Amino acid sequence: MITGARKGETSWLRRLAARASSKELAAFVVPGPEVARAFGLDLGAAGLRVVPSPRHASVLVVVGGLPEGLRDAASVIYAQMMRPRAVLVLGSDTASPLPGPDVSAPMDQESLSAAVARLRRAFAEGAWDPGVEDYAPEAAATETRYTCPMHPEVVQKEPGACPKCGMDLVPREVSSGESDGEEEEEEEAGELHHGSMDHGEHGSGGHEHMDHTDMGFMSMVEMTRDLQPSGDGLRMEWVEVPFGPLFPGLPGGLALTFTLDGDTVACVQSGSAVGRGGGCLQGVPVDDLLEHLGRIDPLSPVAYRVLALRAVENAAGVEPARATAYLGALEHERVVSHLGWLSSFGYLIGYEWLHRRAAGLQLALLRDDTGEGETLWGDLSDLLQRLRGATLLRRRLEGVGRLRTARAAEYPGPVSRAAGLPYDVRSEEKAYQDLGFEPAVQEGNDAYSRLMLHLDEMERSQEIVQAVGSVSAPDDLGVQDGISGEGDATVETPRGPARLRVRIEDGMVRSAELETPSGRHAQLVEDVALEHEVADALAGVASLDLSPWGMTR
Amino acid sequence: MTVFLVLVMLFAGAYLVAVLEGWTSTGRLRFAGPFWAAVALLGRESIVPRKPDRVLYETAPVLLLVSAVLAAAVLPLGPHLVIADLATGALAVNAALAYVMVALVMAGWGPDGAYAMVAGWRFLGQLVAYSMLIVMPITAVAMRAGSLVTTTIVESQAGIWNALTQPLGFVLFFLAAMAVCFLPPFDLPTAPGELAGGIEAEYAGPRLAVVRLARMVLVVSLSLAVTVFFLGGWLGPFLPGWAWTSLKTLVVAATMLTAGRYVPRLRGEHVMEWGWKLGIPLALVNIFWVGITLVLRSM
Amino acid sequence: MAQAFFTGFFGLAAIWFGVVVFRTSSMVRSALALLFSQAAIGAMFLAMQTEFLGVLQIMMMATEMAIMAIFMVMYMMDPGGLGGMDMTHQKRLSIAAGIFGGAAAVAVSLLGGWGTVGPSTMPEAQVAALGEELLGRSMLVFETAGITILTAMIAATAVAIERRR
Repeated sequence: MITGARKGETSWLRRLAARASSKELAAFVVPGPEVARAFGLDLGAAGLRVVPSPRHASVLVVVGGLPEGLRDAASVIYAQMMRPRAVLVLGSDTASPLPGPDVSAPMDQESLSAAVARLRRAFAEGAWDPGVEDYAPEAAATETRYTCPMHPEVVQKEPGACPKCGMDLVPREVSSGESDGEEEEEEEAGELHHGSMDHGEHGSGGHEHMDHTDMGFMSMVEMTRDLQPSGDGLRMEWVEVPFGPLFPGLPGGLALTFTLDGDTVACVQSGSAVGRGGGCLQGVPVDDLLEHLGRIDPLSPVAYRVLALRAVENAAGVEPARATAYLGALEHERVVSHLGWLSSFGYLIGYEWLHRRAAGLQLALLRDDTGEGETLWGDLSDLLQRLRGATLLRRRLEGVGRLRTARAAEYPGPVSRAAGLPYDVRSEEKAYQDLGFEPAVQEGNDAYSRLMLHLDEMERSQEIVQAVGSVSAPDDLGVQDGISGEGDATVETPRGPARLRVRIEDGMVRSAELETPSGRHAQLVEDVALEHEVADALAGVASLDLSPWGMTR
Repeated sequence: MTVFLVLVMLFAGAYLVAVLEGWTSTGRLRFAGPFWAAVALLGRESIVPRKPDRVLYETAPVLLLVSAVLAAAVLPLGPHLVIADLATGALAVNAALAYVMVALVMAGWGPDGAYAMVAGWRFLGQLVAYSMLIVMPITAVAMRAGSLVTTTIVESQAGIWNALTQPLGFVLFFLAAMAVCFLPPFDLPTAPGELAGGIEAEYAGPRLAVVRLARMVLVVSLSLAVTVFFLGGWLGPFLPGWAWTSLKTLVVAATMLTAGRYVPRLRGEHVMEWGWKLGIPLALVNIFWVGITLVLRSM
Repeated sequence: MAQAFFTGFFGLAAIWFGVVVFRTSSMVRSALALLFSQAAIGAMFLAMQTEFLGVLQIMMMATEMAIMAIFMVMYMMDPGGLGGMDMTHQKRLSIAAGIFGGAAAVAVSLLGGWGTVGPSTMPEAQVAALGEELLGRSMLVFETAGITILTAMIAATAVAIERRR
């Protein structure tokens, strides 16, 4: 029996339906397909079709353990999936509060294929079961509260009359969590306040017990007089819509909430559900620092390991000769990370060919870790060439997500480089200077120039990898035990410069300060999205290449 | 009898187009794919959103299917293989396709969900862009045939296909047809990356099966319309008429499904801008051009 | 016989949908009910064998009413009707106007001299005749109407665009 079976006895008709379910596995990936790709897993090749809406999915795939911040969201997603449904966990054994995983497997491609075969058998045999229990997570529980349409701040548990104006209170469902719209996923929290007026302090609501004939005829112009006007002078109803934390087009864990005025974004709230808490590195033995930092961001683990290595070597006073030996690994990861971003971005803007091609290249590069795949580099050059010549792509993205140059200058990294400012940590490192490295720069400061910048950076990284030859990543620190000191190091991760300052005493980390690029770039979300149409706002946010793992919660 | 035959062929065509769509997205040709997908959908439980507009929510998939079938009902598969050979056939195709938009607006409004609502209204914007371009090329085609009867339109192409004599109209109608059945790159209402499935997001189980079926039938109807109006319908040597129609329709459908994958989704503003500033003048030029050639030929 | 039945059926459907327009408190349902009321009138035209008119009515009303629906959603409060708003205004005036208009329509239909009822022409001939009429005798009327509508569209759009500062 699978945990999400439908209630009932099996009949020959239901067996046929169960067999059909086992052939058509549709997966919803938590935290997101880009994380699965970053771990080198090809879900499509294993037989799972990734779908954007949990209503269409039959399998919930959890890749690499469920972070605490996503637990509520994941349980709501699971509750929205139609039965028969199952849970597949990769790289971990449990995924509470979801029901116990139906199949769990380690995170490599062969185990994934075997796990999918087990899943198919489970569906074919156990899609119907008379003894199945319902799944009702707390996060999706709702209660009925009574509120006054004209005074939304008046909320009571019992029906009655509004103490301010005397109107009858209208029932409305709210989630029983503390605050509204926290980490609830997509559709459920997108309540359209059809009958309520959140922004209305206007004359007559015309609700149930108010008779228009008493008021005289009120035109719509008079009724909307007190509504807040939008940028174009029209006064319309505003709707708060969550776009995260498990939204299919955006990186998994990014919790955006747009307040939509029509289809224009009027207010933006952003946060991360998977961000690291501060101070998580304190008390860690130095030997484990590499592992810890490598786990912070699954989208670019190598860069953070190199960062840890450099910081420790800086603290120990060791000459940073070994750190520069990992150039190849760093640049290889840059190409991989940019390809992953290209694939997600292509999915967001509906460019299916780009989505597939970039994902295929990313997975191929991850599998080939010797860095010598000549055909792969040739394919990459083809991809770059086609993208540079695509005029419709240019039309789609030009002017989208534009920032003011002064604003972009505050955030060094790919965003500022796309605004014409050539700041790059790598230009100050001797090893890079020896290879003749020059940072890539684009003018334009919009989504298209950020895309072109990513392409240029991939080209340069390819040259460096081909020059260096080896792409082995650091896996041990190589310093003696019991060191003490203060270390400060910076690395240009694929998303911008990251900086680590550690104070080590006797082989243990006393205090550590980690600055990640996405933590800073998160503040650009509002600049990029405000007053844009929702699709353009999303494209602008995606063009910033944020990693919610690096953002603070 | 004719009605039954045509309907069977229509749904067989929809099935084949579903197979084609599976081929474009996975690269494998699975002939049993749509069958298993349909059975799997019918076997899933069906839950409605919390506070839908029940009438609109339930009617939308049915209306989409009905309008697609009605559009195909006036298009001939062979010399006498047509459900209703209306005297205003070419116009009736448009009348039926207009209800595609009504169905999508219902599907957008019905479920009481933000994504569906934005998707539904975006399609209305797309309608404003394509609605002229789906009618004006038909005008030129009807001019050449001297009638709005669809069988006459096919017969008028006996010498040379309309696609060759009116290439501008052909291209515009082809693009407008892609916009009507909201295939990529015109998939504003179902944007998977931007709106998590848009109007399809709130449908599940058997209702989703109806929506998907309706979409496939719509693609077939529009491909049939392109074939009838521009590619000579059933005309061709050796094979019987209905075989030619089916072949041409499948080729058109395959082209529609594959072409859009190589282009990013068009922004709503661009669709409207190019539709009105570029498309309508070109369509007028097309009508003018056809008029001149007809006048010259009759002199 | 069948013709009379279908004409009556669609006529009643048109009236019923028209009543639904005012009975529901949801703006969108109201607009769509009006759409189906007009479509039923188009079906009546088809039943009365005026094919072009029927198809045209069905086609135009779909687009028009859907655009009306979006304007209602944009500008009206409570488009979903969950607040149970009463959709009727100025009740006495509208009742009076309705009674007067209904009586006038009935009077015209009963007392007007319609002439003898002849057989309807074949639809193809109708379409051809319509075409010749539109571009022949009535060309001035239709072209003027078309240009006027186009002018109104352009003027409305120009007025709605905010001046760039």
